[in-house]
Amino acid sequence: MTALRRTGSALLAPALAVVFAVVITALVILAIGENPSTALRVLFDFGDTPAQQTQAIVVVLNRAVPLFLAGLAVSVAFRMGLFNIGVEGQYRMATVLAAGAGAAVSLPAPLHVVFVIVVAMLVGAFWAGIVAVLKVTRGVSEVISSIMLNFIALGTASWLLTGPLRGSEEGAAIITTKDLPESGQFPGLNGLFDVIGLAQPRGELYGFLLVAVVAGIVIAVLLKRTRFGFDLRATGMSPSAATASGIDARRMVIKTMLISGAVAGLIGLPDLMGRTHHFGTEFTAGLGFLGIAVALLGRNSPLGIAFAALLFAFLDRAAVPLQFADIPASVVTIIQGTIVLAVVVANEIARQLTRRRAEGETGQAAPPAPESPPAGPAGTAGSRIDEHQGAGA
Amino acid sequence: MAEQPAGPPAETGAGPVPYAVELRGITKRFPGVVANRDIELRVRRGEVHAIVGENGAGKSTLMKTLYGMHRPDEGTILLDGRETTLRSPADAIAAGIGMVHQHFMLADNFTVLENVVLGSEPTRGGRLDRATARRRIREISERYALNLDPDVLVEDLGVGDRQRVEIAKVLYRGATTLILDEPTAVLVPQEVDELFGNLAELKREGLTVIFISHKLDEVRKVADSITVIRRGTTVGTADPRTTTARQLAEMMVGSELPSPQTRTSTVRDTPVLELRGVTVASLAGRPSVDDVSLTVREGEVVGIAGVEGNGQAELVDAIMGLRSLAGGVVVLGGQEITAWSTRARREAGVGFVPEDRHRQGMLLEAPLWENRILGHQTRPPAVKGLFIDRAGARADTARIMRDYDVRAPGPDTLAIALSGGNQQKLIVGREMSARPRLLIAAHPTRGVDVGAQAVIWELLKDARAEGMGILLISADLDELIGLSDTLQVMLRGRLVATLDPGTLTPEELGSHMTGAHDGAGSAA
Repeated sequence: MTALRRTGSALLAPALAVVFAVVITALVILAIGENPSTALRVLFDFGDTPAQQTQAIVVVLNRAVPLFLAGLAVSVAFRMGLFNIGVEGQYRMATVLAAGAGAAVSLPAPLHVVFVIVVAMLVGAFWAGIVAVLKVTRGVSEVISSIMLNFIALGTASWLLTGPLRGSEEGAAIITTKDLPESGQFPGLNGLFDVIGLAQPRGELYGFLLVAVVAGIVIAVLLKRTRFGFDLRATGMSPSAATASGIDARRMVIKTMLISGAVAGLIGLPDLMGRTHHFGTEFTAGLGFLGIAVALLGRNSPLGIAFAALLFAFLDRAAVPLQFADIPASVVTIIQGTIVLAVVVANEIARQLTRRRAEGETGQAAPPAPESPPAGPAGTAGSRIDEHQGAGA
Repeated sequence: MAEQPAGPPAETGAGPVPYAVELRGITKRFPGVVANRDIELRVRRGEVHAIVGENGAGKSTLMKTLYGMHRPDEGTILLDGRETTLRSPADAIAAGIGMVHQHFMLADNFTVLENVVLGSEPTRGGRLDRATARRRIREISERYALNLDPDVLVEDLGVGDRQRVEIAKVLYRGATTLILDEPTAVLVPQEVDELFGNLAELKREGLTVIFISHKLDEVRKVADSITVIRRGTTVGTADPRTTTARQLAEMMVGSELPSPQTRTSTVRDTPVLELRGVTVASLAGRPSVDDVSLTVREGEVVGIAGVEGNGQAELVDAIMGLRSLAGGVVVLGGQEITAWSTRARREAGVGFVPEDRHRQGMLLEAPLWENRILGHQTRPPAVKGLFIDRAGARADTARIMRDYDVRAPGPDTLAIALSGGNQQKLIVGREMSARPRLLIAAHPTRGVDVGAQAVIWELLKDARAEGMGILLISADLDELIGLSDTLQVMLRGRLVATLDPGTLTPEELGSHMTGAHDGAGSAA
């Protein structure tokens, strides 16, 4: 009964946020003199032929896979109260080095794929590990150091691309690393459409979807069912209680950041191993930051993040068709931005409702809750969310 | 006050003098429970009116109703005889009701003045008018003998001073009725006396004070009349001059009471915990724990008495491995554990009831069964190998709730939903369940009502009889004297006296704690 109610309010917040974002966006479209209902129609118009429709689904799923991984990477750290803004740099480094290493070795097919994945995870973990070590040994805020490392990653990746790992011809318009050999590419899942009787799309559905699903399940089990996950969540909920219970906070910071970074290392791989087969100047950037939004919308739970990633991918798909309908593609960005802002607010409201209801269950007073009188200094309860807000904005 | 709830004064102004605060038939429901039912409360202007009841009895819900934090489902609130609807704390403040919370809400890095005016700043030309504020605070301070200097930083103030700042804050907003929620929970005996002096001043100036407490001796000392709440409803009123603490407590709990006394010694020879020359450095020169040596034997309760802030908290941290030592060794059951981690110490059989259960003892936003795991992450029944045993943890939580009388809907309830006493019983139950050799109990009954206090005392006594060694840190002198086999007094980081609780009075102990042990004892 209470569990049901809790799930109810967990879903309520994101749902309200989406509705709110749609309303705001409609107003914006009206303001620039276009018709919001056209935009809405474009969003849901997946094409006329069966092949077009499956193609639209493929586009959404292919976009959702990296978004999901990014959200997952961010959420692992979030759960412990760590703010890994460095996902952006972590996956960039991981992708460029995995591309380089993958092209440089020759291995039989399944091993080659595993090799590329492992390299990416190790690089991601290493890059995040720097943040953790700085925090534990020197007390450097992970927010600051991971932002700085993003810049370093940006520079380093460019240097690697134009220097040691360059694979494209001198003077080519697009600079890339060498292509991964066939054995290092991740096979697509288009066979699936025949099985369920849908038309074949033009593009290829990323096989990496399966890896993402596995990663999601592993993380979910790790957080919810293991001792390690308990320690991690306990530290996130109350660092002081966690320490008193015997959790070594420093070690937890390092382990958590390594896991977060390892997952972040996977973000660039769906594109790398499923479509481009090389790292290049057309590399998809910004997923690390979108991951923060996705994690927030998904309330840091793997299942929620999956839905959030699908929603964002669904919106992203409409970017091109919207322009055909004379509506700027930035409408999508506006919707996404408003969702994130709204979800921060809605989360906080839902949180207070749950809290108040929890207090009500026995009609008891809790320690000074945020609803306390006007004169008090800022409550502590909301501060974690406030931090999220700071980054989301 | 021979107050009989017989003749409720009728409509406005019909009675001789209307009550400052009158609640009629207040009922407040939350989903699944009725937190308050048919509450009747009558507070005269210019009196100190105490509301006593166990934690969980519904005092806080009632006070939230009165402070406009939520609205009652039934019943009416009359202020000075006029029916009033309070929609928010702002309404309550406007109606002259002020609340002094149990947990202070002050900004440490602000001055007294800034804290007092925060939220209702007098301005001149858009800027804070310090001169006016300072004058008004001085006035309030003098009028009610609060003895506040507006320009001192709050972080430099002691607990008692901070409380007076909170009171000044409420008075500054023009309150004529003050609600004090467990105001003495954080004070030492001397500070309690000062507070009572202040309350007398407030009363003399015609203000009304509603005083929530479960320390019955204090209530009898300070209150002019008492309303007792049990299980969500008012069970009656009492005259403090003719009612004994015991009678009051029985009204509250509805049954006979135990006392902390344990006189048959169960002390055995084997030491469980030995501290030798334990020293903890502090940032400010003098070590916070200075060369402390003591032994806790099986079946022995060693009590540490002392005014708070004399190194007790640091000593506990040192034993638990939460703070590194500058010198000395910690020996558990013959094995040196000075360099062990907190987890290793817990696994080796150290149980821990922390001083601040919200900060160190619980995950407030986690369900009870997850709280059962906290501190026991490596041991059955809550854990199987590397995995959490959810079923095991739930079942064992249900057992603790049964055995230790934790009143909550079930193991899936969030910890925050429990009253302080029930949270504490859960913590004590959890720590006992691991059958520790040594229990570090820091203020085990602080902020806990009489019923829960009795349960916790019983548990400690039983554990002691079974051979557990207990280090008891407390500010409750009766508890220390009643439970301890040996009493140590801690002053400025040192153990300055070893006393025999069998022959000791609270007054003597109080004077030892303040370092005036050769004087006759200034403590009350």
